[in-house]
Amino acid sequence: MKTRTLVGIGLIVGLSSWLLWGCGESGSAPKPAEPLPVASQFGQEPVNPEPVDEGTPVDGDWCIMRLPDEPPHLNPVTSSDAYAREITDLVFDTLIYRSHVNFEFEPRLAESWEISPDHLTYTFHMRKDATFSDGVPVTAQDVKFTYDKIKDPMTDAAHIRNYFIDVVSCEVPDDYTVKFTCDKPYFQHLSVLGEFEIMPRHIYGKGEFNKHPNNRMPIGSGRYVFERWDTGSQMTLARNENYWGEKPHLKKMVYKIITDNNAALQVLERQELDVMVVTPEIWINRASKPDFQAKFNLRSYYTPRFGFIMWNERRPQFADKRVRKAMTLLLDRPLILETIFHGLGREAIGMFFDESENNMALKPLPFDPEQAKQLLDEAGWTDSDNDGIRDKDGVPFRFELLTVTGSSEMDQFATVYQEELKRAGIDMQIRPLEWATFSERLDSRNFDAAPLAWSNPGVIDADPYQIWHSSQAEKGSNFVGFSNPEVDKIIEQARLEFDRAKRIQMYNRFQEIVYDEQPYTLMYNFQALVAVDKRFRNLRVYKRGLVPREWWVPLELQKYHWPGKSSE
Amino acid sequence: MTKHANNIAQPPRRRQSWWALVWRQFRRNRLALAGLGLMLVLFFVALAAPFLAGERPIYVRMEGRAYWFPNLKTYPELRYFDFANWHPAQGEYILRTPVPHAPERSNLRDRLAPPSRMHLLGTDDRGRDVLSRMIWGTRISMSVGFVAVGIALVIGIVLGSVAGFYGGLPDLIIQRIVEVVMCFPTFVLILSLIAFLPPSIYNIMVVIGLVAWTDSARLLRGEFLRLRESDFAIAARASGLTDRRIMFRHLLPNGVSPVLVSATFGVASAILTESALSFLGFGVPPPTPSWGELLSQSQRYVDRAWWLVMFPGLAIFLTVTAFNLVGEGLRDAMDPRLRQ
Amino acid sequence: MKAYLIRRLMLIVPTFLGISLITFLVVQLAPGSPVYMKLRQAEGGMAAGAESAQIIEQTKKLYGLDKPIHIRYVIWLGKLARLDFGDSYKDQRPVITKIKETLPVTLQIEVIVIFLIYLISIPLGVYSATHQYSLGDRVTTLILFILYSLPSFWVAMLLMLFFGGGRFLSWFPVNGLNSFGAENLAWGPWLLDRLWHLVLPVICLTYGGLAGLSRYARAGMMEVIRQDYIRTARAYGFSEKTVIWKYALRNSLIPIVTLLATLLPALIAGSFIIESIFSIPGMGRLGFEAILSRDYPLIMGILSISAFLTLLGLLLSDILYAVVDPRIKLR
Repeated sequence: MKTRTLVGIGLIVGLSSWLLWGCGESGSAPKPAEPLPVASQFGQEPVNPEPVDEGTPVDGDWCIMRLPDEPPHLNPVTSSDAYAREITDLVFDTLIYRSHVNFEFEPRLAESWEISPDHLTYTFHMRKDATFSDGVPVTAQDVKFTYDKIKDPMTDAAHIRNYFIDVVSCEVPDDYTVKFTCDKPYFQHLSVLGEFEIMPRHIYGKGEFNKHPNNRMPIGSGRYVFERWDTGSQMTLARNENYWGEKPHLKKMVYKIITDNNAALQVLERQELDVMVVTPEIWINRASKPDFQAKFNLRSYYTPRFGFIMWNERRPQFADKRVRKAMTLLLDRPLILETIFHGLGREAIGMFFDESENNMALKPLPFDPEQAKQLLDEAGWTDSDNDGIRDKDGVPFRFELLTVTGSSEMDQFATVYQEELKRAGIDMQIRPLEWATFSERLDSRNFDAAPLAWSNPGVIDADPYQIWHSSQAEKGSNFVGFSNPEVDKIIEQARLEFDRAKRIQMYNRFQEIVYDEQPYTLMYNFQALVAVDKRFRNLRVYKRGLVPREWWVPLELQKYHWPGKSSE
Repeated sequence: MTKHANNIAQPPRRRQSWWALVWRQFRRNRLALAGLGLMLVLFFVALAAPFLAGERPIYVRMEGRAYWFPNLKTYPELRYFDFANWHPAQGEYILRTPVPHAPERSNLRDRLAPPSRMHLLGTDDRGRDVLSRMIWGTRISMSVGFVAVGIALVIGIVLGSVAGFYGGLPDLIIQRIVEVVMCFPTFVLILSLIAFLPPSIYNIMVVIGLVAWTDSARLLRGEFLRLRESDFAIAARASGLTDRRIMFRHLLPNGVSPVLVSATFGVASAILTESALSFLGFGVPPPTPSWGELLSQSQRYVDRAWWLVMFPGLAIFLTVTAFNLVGEGLRDAMDPRLRQ
Repeated sequence: MKAYLIRRLMLIVPTFLGISLITFLVVQLAPGSPVYMKLRQAEGGMAAGAESAQIIEQTKKLYGLDKPIHIRYVIWLGKLARLDFGDSYKDQRPVITKIKETLPVTLQIEVIVIFLIYLISIPLGVYSATHQYSLGDRVTTLILFILYSLPSFWVAMLLMLFFGGGRFLSWFPVNGLNSFGAENLAWGPWLLDRLWHLVLPVICLTYGGLAGLSRYARAGMMEVIRQDYIRTARAYGFSEKTVIWKYALRNSLIPIVTLLATLLPALIAGSFIIESIFSIPGMGRLGFEAILSRDYPLIMGILSISAFLTLLGLLLSDILYAVVDPRIKLR
């Protein structure tokens, strides 16, 4: 499930390598084709030059990438791990694919498809020459098998199943035709139905699905074949020589598991890693040096992701929107962006990930402690007992900000914020938690305030339902309990609106309301900061980011060779 | 009648002169003395922290009013007063702390500044003064060290004395408990427990104490087993004193010396543990200053901000060394075989 | 002797039960349910409420979390007897498999470390004892002290900084057990590559144990030297060297042998941090990550296995002690 997934990720800046989608490139070799950025002006603006004329792509070589964490397993249906996604995307195929170039749907395992006028029936016609990596043909039976598994309550796939709630049935009129029927129209259905990974029935149908041995050795019909998993160390994928479509140029993709960032940097510098997503610190201090850039090309780009702090509206402190607005005014976002994040981002506006969908009329709130104090006074929070902390009806303004351990940037701005709030008479306690406990607190709505980030790998066509509809306040992603009848109506109607322009108009009004209510203190869109070994070509940056499977390496620069075997 | 009984059961009077003997021997050990000196310095720093580092001055006279110890008391009208940027005018006077920075005062524009006149040990990644944080961090380390060991001592002494004194079944049970707890790799057990509790300095103290008592229990048990058969103990029992009295008034003072040594090492170990916990992110909650937390920060800036790597690490190292030296010195001083 | 052994072994049982009880209780009291980890992205469809509750119940059943606590303990004990720690919450693989994969790595390193510690400490202890209070002894003691007091995570950081590449020297790798592609090497070079990778972590784990052990060696040696039979040996005209190394050493080693038992848990504890820093796929790193992600079965498995290993070590050293020292009367 890639495109429509709104994934909540802790505000762990720059450490998520799942942002790597692509490839693109720039020239290199003896003389750099582009001038080296000067250290002083380095860093703020995204760095993604258009690839210059680089010659004809050739096959060969490997790409060594890094995973900051080892995925528990590689079953695309039961996995909710972002790193697993990177790998399953290469090993499995989907019916259709939303192009990373122009966002149009392209055929994959399905050659063509039809949507009924009432948007309730989706029919896919599959190609007949596609096979899994073991030679068995991919048929509609496999599609139905995967669909059944997703819908099966015993499958460990609660997170995906929610998208299929309105999908009623999956029929297989013949071996190469699949027909899905829904009971409600929804503008995302084409993506939901067309973009889940198809798993081979003859393999995963036998044995227990949740704990299937092939969860450690996935078999799919994708561009790459999963070769081996050295537990705790690395995973290796090899190019699928029998792929029905255009084969990628790189023969192998290797994912090294390196948890510690420092260690990862050392490995990169030793050139035992080819690609790495670096932190702002490393970008500014290390990547800017000429000796680093002699070995690596740099790419930075904005990702479809924004960070924020959310305020639990059920708590008395945050029930009043004036208070929430005051909280936003008390966070010096421009300064934090400039210093802690080295300016490698921009202030977020709106709830969507693509500029085309955001309401550009809304401007970020300034940093204004005086106005904040006024708002707090207005809302009834004053320091009546003169102890330095504001109170109202006998309740002091004290709350707990949950944070996720492991992000130094989050730690930094949390204490800075804490200080500023103290000066305004608010006592904030910081509570670092591990991701597991953190999510549990969010899910059980047991928190006062917490930072989070939403992202959409699909970039466009986001649906705010999961986050903003009042029905999601107890069980969905509407952690803060936001509830506004007008917003509810807009969202519900937008789900049925298949005209994108009209939908965006409706969403503009939705964003106005949210802006007024300030359930979140919006923070930033971050840049992904990537260093790639200089030998790779076609490091093009798309809206989704880099796409490594499009990269290639000129013959004379190839480093790793397929041992023995055929002429390749 | 009771007085008489007390007299009979009086333990040998070697206590007082014995400690003097130990001290004399200890004094000869230069390294141990150095360690002791360092320990005292640390004590002082921990106690006097408000007078050593902070933004609120020790004394200030402004606009006709004199304020004593704003660094200790909170004067409501001074609560948000910006002392850092205030300069006394004619007739006004201010006595600042030697390090005029608060440990939590961040200044983002001054992040990661190397040591300078303004910031003697530099600033951290939020622009907070490192020296100030280290001074206040001493409080954390010292308190965790001593309280944790205090808890461990209480548990250890109680269990050890019961085991040594009564023998038999209680001894067997307690020995098993000791063995069980000792089987767990200490830090792993502590980490597991801490990970499940909300971060607070009290939880850390208690958890370390709960895990570290085995040494003193074992030692004291050994001592009690030995002392149980000594003359004065037999005499005490014969004169009908209660068990508790015998244990704690007569046997304990004689058996406590190895426990003291172990306790000293225990403090060093507790301080190290607290630093390790803070280093891993399981320590005191922000913005509380801790040496381990500074070190943890420094990981990201290892090649840029050497002062963040060096000074907290040195502080932990020197503190642990000091306590270890004192412990070593005590042990050597108490060992009759090493007496010269 | 045999009676002692049997008695000793029997005493392990209550200890082990105690261990299992503690681990079980500790982990049960923890907040953070793995159910929510799975459902953290439970975005709803239109009728989310009822379905999600049902899904939560099913997931709970899946993980066996629906039974009361004392029943869960009894069940767990039964499984323990079969070394079945259940399945890791993270990836549903059996805990014992994961431990089996990583334990050899950790043991590899521990064995090397223990070997090195003994190798260095014993001569050091002997030297210190025989040259008591000399400058050499004092300097050695001081250095060992310093080493003992250095925080291991600090040392690891410094080692990585100075020797691991980046700005300064790049003598040693800082990641993993072998270089990339090492499986293609011949036996010899592969071993060298492995050892090369282990240098830094081994240093971090070794230096701390040196002080303790060498001090025991020193104290033991000092005690032995004062004994009559040593004086006798000297009187016989044996060279000092023979006296020390052939006669005194053997007797002074006795207490040192027992230290083996205490070294092991300390090393396992140390490996938690060191393995994580150096990305070594050992049991220490596995345990640390298990704690981070609240993987109860895995935490319990690792805690139990470490405790059990320590028990084994204790037993071993007790037996060794009895075997080596003929003076010990075993009741």
